[in-house]
Amino acid sequence: MSRITLGQYYPANTLLHRLDPRVKLLAVVVFVTTLLFVSQWLGLAIAAVGLSLTIYFSRVPLGFLFRGLRMIFFVVGFAMLLNIFLTPGENVLFSIGFIHITTEGIYRAFLMASRLVLLVVGSSLLTLTTSPIKLTDGIEALLRPTPLPAHDIAIMMTIALRMIPTLAEETDKIMKAQKARGADFGGGPIKRVRAFLPIMVPLFVSAFKRADELATAMEARCYRGGEGRTKLSPLRMQPTDWAVLVIAVVFCAGLLLTRFV
Amino acid sequence: MITAEKLSYTYPPTEPRDAATPPALFGVDLAIAQGAYVAIVGHNGSGKSTLARHMNALLAPTSGTMYIDGKNTADTHLLWEIRKTAGMVFQNPDNQLVATSVEEDVAFGPENLGLPSEEIRTRLNDALAAVGLSDFAQHAPSRLSGGQKQRVAIAGVFAMQPQILILDEPTAMLDPAGRREVMQTIAALNRTGITVVLITHFVEEAATADRIIVMHKGQVTMDGSALEIFAQPQKLVELGLALPTPIALAELLRKHGIAIAPNIITAADLLADTTLQLVITAGQIQNPVGCKLQPTEISAPVRQYAPANTGNALLELRNISHTYNRGTTFEITAIRDVSLTVHTGEILGIIGHTGSGKSTLIQHLNGLLTPTLGQIIPPLDAKTRRNVGLVFQYPEHQLFESTVYRDVAFGPTKMGLQGDALDTAIRHALTLVGLPDDTWERSPFALSGGQKRRAAIAGVLAMQPQILILDEPTAGLDPAGCKEILDLIAAMRHERAIVLVSHSMDEIARLCDSVVVMNHGEIALQGSPREVFAQQKQLENMGLDVPQITHIMSRLAEINPALPTDVLSLTEAANIIAGISEVSS
Repeated sequence: MSRITLGQYYPANTLLHRLDPRVKLLAVVVFVTTLLFVSQWLGLAIAAVGLSLTIYFSRVPLGFLFRGLRMIFFVVGFAMLLNIFLTPGENVLFSIGFIHITTEGIYRAFLMASRLVLLVVGSSLLTLTTSPIKLTDGIEALLRPTPLPAHDIAIMMTIALRMIPTLAEETDKIMKAQKARGADFGGGPIKRVRAFLPIMVPLFVSAFKRADELATAMEARCYRGGEGRTKLSPLRMQPTDWAVLVIAVVFCAGLLLTRFV
Repeated sequence: MITAEKLSYTYPPTEPRDAATPPALFGVDLAIAQGAYVAIVGHNGSGKSTLARHMNALLAPTSGTMYIDGKNTADTHLLWEIRKTAGMVFQNPDNQLVATSVEEDVAFGPENLGLPSEEIRTRLNDALAAVGLSDFAQHAPSRLSGGQKQRVAIAGVFAMQPQILILDEPTAMLDPAGRREVMQTIAALNRTGITVVLITHFVEEAATADRIIVMHKGQVTMDGSALEIFAQPQKLVELGLALPTPIALAELLRKHGIAIAPNIITAADLLADTTLQLVITAGQIQNPVGCKLQPTEISAPVRQYAPANTGNALLELRNISHTYNRGTTFEITAIRDVSLTVHTGEILGIIGHTGSGKSTLIQHLNGLLTPTLGQIIPPLDAKTRRNVGLVFQYPEHQLFESTVYRDVAFGPTKMGLQGDALDTAIRHALTLVGLPDDTWERSPFALSGGQKRRAAIAGVLAMQPQILILDEPTAGLDPAGCKEILDLIAAMRHERAIVLVSHSMDEIARLCDSVVVMNHGEIALQGSPREVFAQQKQLENMGLDVPQITHIMSRLAEINPALPTDVLSLTEAANIIAGISEVSS
């Protein structure tokens, strides 16, 4: 609980790490959208090569990358099975009862799975190479032209990131304290939910108290929303950032073109 | 700089039915000059924090006025100007840091002021240098110690370049090392010309200020220099405040007819006092060098305590070690080869700086952790674990039920107590901790801070443990609250063994029969408080203090080696010095 790692940022000093977070965010959005429209093996193969190169440049070890995605791969595997079993088709290879395994099914399952894996690995590369602070800055900057409350969202994310380790530690302490009073966190689901009451109530009481005190402290430091606020390190696009953005967009356009091959 | 005129404030009632809340501040007149270092003291509920919140315009007066640098705090147009002029640091370091890195947090205030980035960077660097944290700019606040976090908070305010720094009990939640760090930082900032207003309930901290304001029931009852304030010890005690040890000792010595000069505030002042030095040196002349005067010869009353280790051994740890995250790269051995025994009727003190393995150790005593190596006798199974009650730090944070009675019932119910036996256990525990029965059916969240803590202790006591472990039971309480808890501990000892973990050496010296000193996961010293606190040098090397009175006597023993270095109480010290003075005259 106390060793919680967030956004699983992998610190290093590579071009990818130094890139403007807005560029990375935009590139991921474009890449993910493109993948949704790529339905040929050729396109997916090119995307995989591009992604592998990016991983290589990021210096994030493969083990570190895939360890964080274990749960997601499990979900992908499950979706694959559903596709194999439930896709109707002409070429029935095998059938038990209402389940028919078809070549179309297998083809679709693999296509979908590779697409999902590319999608997940691509977006996790964003959090792996971008610190939470920069990510928040990037989101704020990208949302500013939209009608969404960009600054409010950003400050909420910051506070959440700041408070999660504190609250995790607190949960740990409260659990120990209640255990010392004989609380038992095992048993069936209903029993378990009831057993968590002695943890949830103190945790909420403390969270509200913290929120209240934090708000007062922020006001005391002249916080009044995003208006008139400046930044310690404002985002400035460098030539490299522009270059990478253009390359990413061109690469994705190329992927889309494979549809017409 | 700060001017209050007939300032009164009444908090809006939290519930409509208790409409008649008494005013928190009543007719306060006050003027604080630029560059001053002012301490505001008073027990909980005296109005000192309310007053501080007016100085930062977090509260506006109900009647009367407050001016900060000539600006009226009731004028909402001036709100941001006032907050820029008077920065505020709060008690809980975790609840005032906003950002996920130290530098982003310190930059938060200047960012709000709309300063250009280069200016923010300069101020940030200056502020971090001023609090001595330049190397920590990239750290996450959650990875810092309490003292460091509080210094980050101070840097965050300092970076806004205020003229006034208000600190609302900034050290209440810190360990002694953190306290020292913060107090040194505050004094250093004051020397740069910034006005400091320090709210505290530690008299030792207040004594470092140029001026002390004592609040009581929403009014200023005393106002003057430390000398003037501490010249009225009787009045201070009536107001629920203690005297700093050096002043109290000087006072006692004067009663013994030793004419100590009137201007004593710190230990250094006392040690430099010519009369005292004469008395101490004269004692040396009477006794040839090398012939150490035995404490008994000076007719010091030996402290009465139950002889250690006569009771039955209730629980024994034999060569316990504990390693966290075994087999991973995060592997860390928190305690190594620890052996100790808990006896009936004794109070066992455990001291050690933060991270020395104290909390890992106590979690072994009731089976929350099992040793990686070593033996516990008797072995702790589900049943024998109940003989050991563990009260964590800030135990009031574990209260959750709708009434005090039901909350206390949680533990014994889990143990399987029912009906009359359950009711008796609960009533007994609540009576023992001294909670009046009209509070039993109230929500635990509606109690005062000290009461909440006693309710939480009752929750563990109701499980009728033979061994009660208390981790920092007085942390964050005001002097009156501390005294209540310490009295409670003394009262509970007759029925059970108590293990007391504390940062306060004075508490340990006052209450414990034996002391275990933890350092780097091992037992560094073990023995009676006298034996342990006589090792002042060794304790200092471990980053620990000795009780203040022991410190003063040890320093006097440097002048006259005949003096004992294991003195634990004020009366004892005064009697020894007075004894020497009689021998020499």
